[in-house]
Amino acid sequence: MKIVIYAAILLLLVPIHTTMLPHVSVLGVAPDVGLVIAVLIGLMEGELEGLLVGLAIGWLLSMYSAGDLWLSLVTKGGAGVLAGILGRQVAQVTPTVLCIGLGIVSLAGGMVTALTMKAGGLEDVWWNMRTIVLPQACLDAALGAALFWLANRRTVMDRFRVAERF
Amino acid sequence: MANLRAPYSARRLALGVFGLLLAALLLFPRQSQGLFQYLDGPVGQVVRIPLEIVASVDEGLAGIWHHYIALQDVQTVNDRLRQDMEWLRGQNSQLREAAAATERLTSLLQFKAQALPMMMAAQVIGRDATNWYRSVILNKGDSDGIKPDMGVITPAGVVGRVVKTTGGTSVVLLMTDSNNAIAGLIQRTRDEGIVEGTHQGYAKLKYIPLLSNVREGDRVVTSGLVGGFPRGLAIGTITRIDKEEGALFQTAELTPEVDVSRLEEVLIIQAPYGTSGEAGGGVDFAGKSRP
Repeated sequence: MKIVIYAAILLLLVPIHTTMLPHVSVLGVAPDVGLVIAVLIGLMEGELEGLLVGLAIGWLLSMYSAGDLWLSLVTKGGAGVLAGILGRQVAQVTPTVLCIGLGIVSLAGGMVTALTMKAGGLEDVWWNMRTIVLPQACLDAALGAALFWLANRRTVMDRFRVAERF
Repeated sequence: MANLRAPYSARRLALGVFGLLLAALLLFPRQSQGLFQYLDGPVGQVVRIPLEIVASVDEGLAGIWHHYIALQDVQTVNDRLRQDMEWLRGQNSQLREAAAATERLTSLLQFKAQALPMMMAAQVIGRDATNWYRSVILNKGDSDGIKPDMGVITPAGVVGRVVKTTGGTSVVLLMTDSNNAIAGLIQRTRDEGIVEGTHQGYAKLKYIPLLSNVREGDRVVTSGLVGGFPRGLAIGTITRIDKEEGALFQTAELTPEVDVSRLEEVLIIQAPYGTSGEAGGGVDFAGKSRP
């Protein structure tokens, strides 16, 4: 069942990213839904699943982007692993905690991308940081927190409750 | 707390797999990318189905909005006039180039072949999956004979070039992306340069000789020397010239001829110097029959 859900997510992700998100972008920047999903899965299901789903997301999105394959694989797969590891260290995951964590992960991924892209110099890197990395990190954090909050209201996510951990 | 979700070995396995992947990508970049590219074909065909469904729904909704809700008549007339204007711009550019070339011994140039490149029409079904690149996704790919580096145009001028293909789709890097480079030629002065995109969504012509008397309003066309474009396709109009003291070249800012934010259908140049008998898909230069 889980594999079917993952497959559905992967199949729908590309149309959402390439067709729907450009309509709802804020100042030309859209949230990275792939990254948010990789982080949420890493957080909820552990680092191995986070890694595998993150890699699959990175590969699929790179097929429909002009960007390099390795960059997409490393940022999405790395986000899944990192979320899984961080998830173990946090006593209680709340939308606020997730918001901050996602913001940091998105910021880190964006900075790696900005620094590895062909750029004319520091001015271009700063431009990318200001116009893409920071707004995208904010959007990712907000979207992730909203999705988590919704999921938390509709389902009982026992694993995140402190009381049940002891 | 640490053992609630997954066994410890899962973390080690995940880190191991991630480390191996990183090592493979760093040490054997070509082989590892080749493996993924080999798998791109079948996976791309599967992903293409929902992508085209969503794109057609999106297009349908946009069509309903534009044609039935938002100013039905004005929009229709506007669309037709815009199409005509784009076609005339393309023709104008071609004719200007033809006239200039005729003056310089046209017998040396293969004009017939130049005017009729092999082209295939394609539809835009999406935009870049990240915020980092200005690119569009087309509904034609490997199986239709599309290859990387092929030029993409509209009747108004240059759009960009194909950078990636899967079985049924291809990714076109737009000329306004900073990673793109197209050989350009200033139509009036005949000076050559390289057209690159900018972060602001414009384009700039770099490496213009210092002694060139280029000025604002000059039109820039493809030089046809390298890349998948024939000579004479409109790229843009110069709006500003930067001439820094001590620099070896001048740089000019261009306004692209094609509004790349509103692309719907494009033409892919499969062979820039084809013949009329080989025209792929039976599409003429304008992409449609004209009186």
